[in-house]
Amino acid sequence: MPEECKEKARLPAILRRAAWVAILALLAAWLWPRPGELRGGATTGGSTLERIRAAGFVRVGFANEAPYAYVDTETGRLTGESPELARLVFRQLGVEDIRGVLTEFGSLIPALKAGRFDVIAAGMYITPARCEEILFSDPTYAIGEAFVVPAGNPLGLHGYRDLRDTEGATLGVVTGAIQLQYARAVGIPDGRIKIFPDAPSAVDGVAAGRVSAYAGTALTVNDLLGKTSAPLQRALPFTDLVIDGEVIKGYGAFGFRASDRKFRDAFNQVLRATVGTPKHAELVEPFGFTEDMLPGNVTAAELCKGGSE
Amino acid sequence: MTLEGVLAFLQTHLPALVEGLRVTLQLTVGGAALALLISLAAGLGRRSPSRWLRWPANAYVEIFRGTSALVQLFWFYFALPFFGISLPALVTGVVVLGLNSGAYGAEVVRSAIANVPRGQWEAARALNLGDGQAMRRVILPQALPMMLPPAGNLLIELLKNTALVSLITLSELTFTTQVQRAATLDTVPLFTLTLLIYFAVSQVLLVGMRRLERNVTRHRGGRA
Repeated sequence: MPEECKEKARLPAILRRAAWVAILALLAAWLWPRPGELRGGATTGGSTLERIRAAGFVRVGFANEAPYAYVDTETGRLTGESPELARLVFRQLGVEDIRGVLTEFGSLIPALKAGRFDVIAAGMYITPARCEEILFSDPTYAIGEAFVVPAGNPLGLHGYRDLRDTEGATLGVVTGAIQLQYARAVGIPDGRIKIFPDAPSAVDGVAAGRVSAYAGTALTVNDLLGKTSAPLQRALPFTDLVIDGEVIKGYGAFGFRASDRKFRDAFNQVLRATVGTPKHAELVEPFGFTEDMLPGNVTAAELCKGGSE
Repeated sequence: MTLEGVLAFLQTHLPALVEGLRVTLQLTVGGAALALLISLAAGLGRRSPSRWLRWPANAYVEIFRGTSALVQLFWFYFALPFFGISLPALVTGVVVLGLNSGAYGAEVVRSAIANVPRGQWEAARALNLGDGQAMRRVILPQALPMMLPPAGNLLIELLKNTALVSLITLSELTFTTQVQRAATLDTVPLFTLTLLIYFAVSQVLLVGMRRLERNVTRHRGGRA
């Protein structure tokens, strides 16, 4: 009886083989690279602006950090303060479209230099160290710092100095991000700084008790706290960071290869005419960027020298 | 989580994760195909009497086994363009994963061949077979069944290593999970789901390898 059942339940060998072939063929068709998937090698040399004008699009690097530059998972659109502003500027330069290349924050500069994309549109801060590697446009916003801490702020951390002076308190920062330099400048020992690959990991790190606080920009912190359901809060009030007598603010901008000075200058010219206009305000307002975050007259050249004066 | 909660969660995340899985499988299949060719070439090369074959094969195996796969990826993706060679991200992933697994695979091939008793070579020679014929007709058919279990191991290892490729801008399964997490911070359910997906794929691969093993050994048994 069992023998018989087995025989009946099995398809004839030829049908079974055909079914396997069909499954494998479908799988192969699904996996086969689609047009464009094998492109994306580096492109350098020649005039970048001419090349992207001819191509009709420019590749921009971003690190998926809301609200600066991220993929809206509902629509699949690359959006945020930086990509939207890039779209506006590039359209005026005769480049219709931007295409995002997603990478870790810490890999943005190496990937730009290796020609994996032509512009960093991630709201990256201008710092003297980064200026040695790449060129920056003038800044598009200026904001301060914030901490994510467990609800109730049990250690009473209201700034980098509080954290330094609290025995055993540890700080989470994101790889390649500016906050590591702030923490070191204030004198927090490296043993009490933990480096996470991205901001969500750092926030999860606070929630899981791996670190006492996560240091990020005020906007990143607000965005992530709006999404998480973990018992976390922004540390308020927050003492602004003062280094060498100067209140530290981050100035975010677009990044370009060192060899692309002309390209950067062309972009910058349009950018300068755009930042601060009502059109700009309307564009970035949905991402939480308000008028008080405008960079004023601060230029990339000043910030590269290491001061905003 | 309620049933509706689970469904909403899957509806939000599953389409993106399936796209990520597609890239993971592309890397696994492409990497495995490359690794297969290279393992045979380098494994045989390491046993070759000619030093012009032996030395390059030895150098390849030792370099790729002896350095971190992650650093190899970074190097091929970020450093190679400075030498004028710029591969697209997907190709970089397949090449590095294939070369990496191929180095371990070469050792599998070499040791399986070395484990075929010496007498088999002598017997082949007694039958007036040349070296190449002896290898193809006598030695490799006996070595193949010995290669399969460790090859299955390497295949699973390759599948899991594809997660490294997220660091060179490829949106494979792990990276897609990170992106979805950044959007909603559903950390625990997302990583749990991704673990399950990896596990399911590795089980399918293992079943395939076991069938292959059965076929090969049955074939051999029939002839013996």
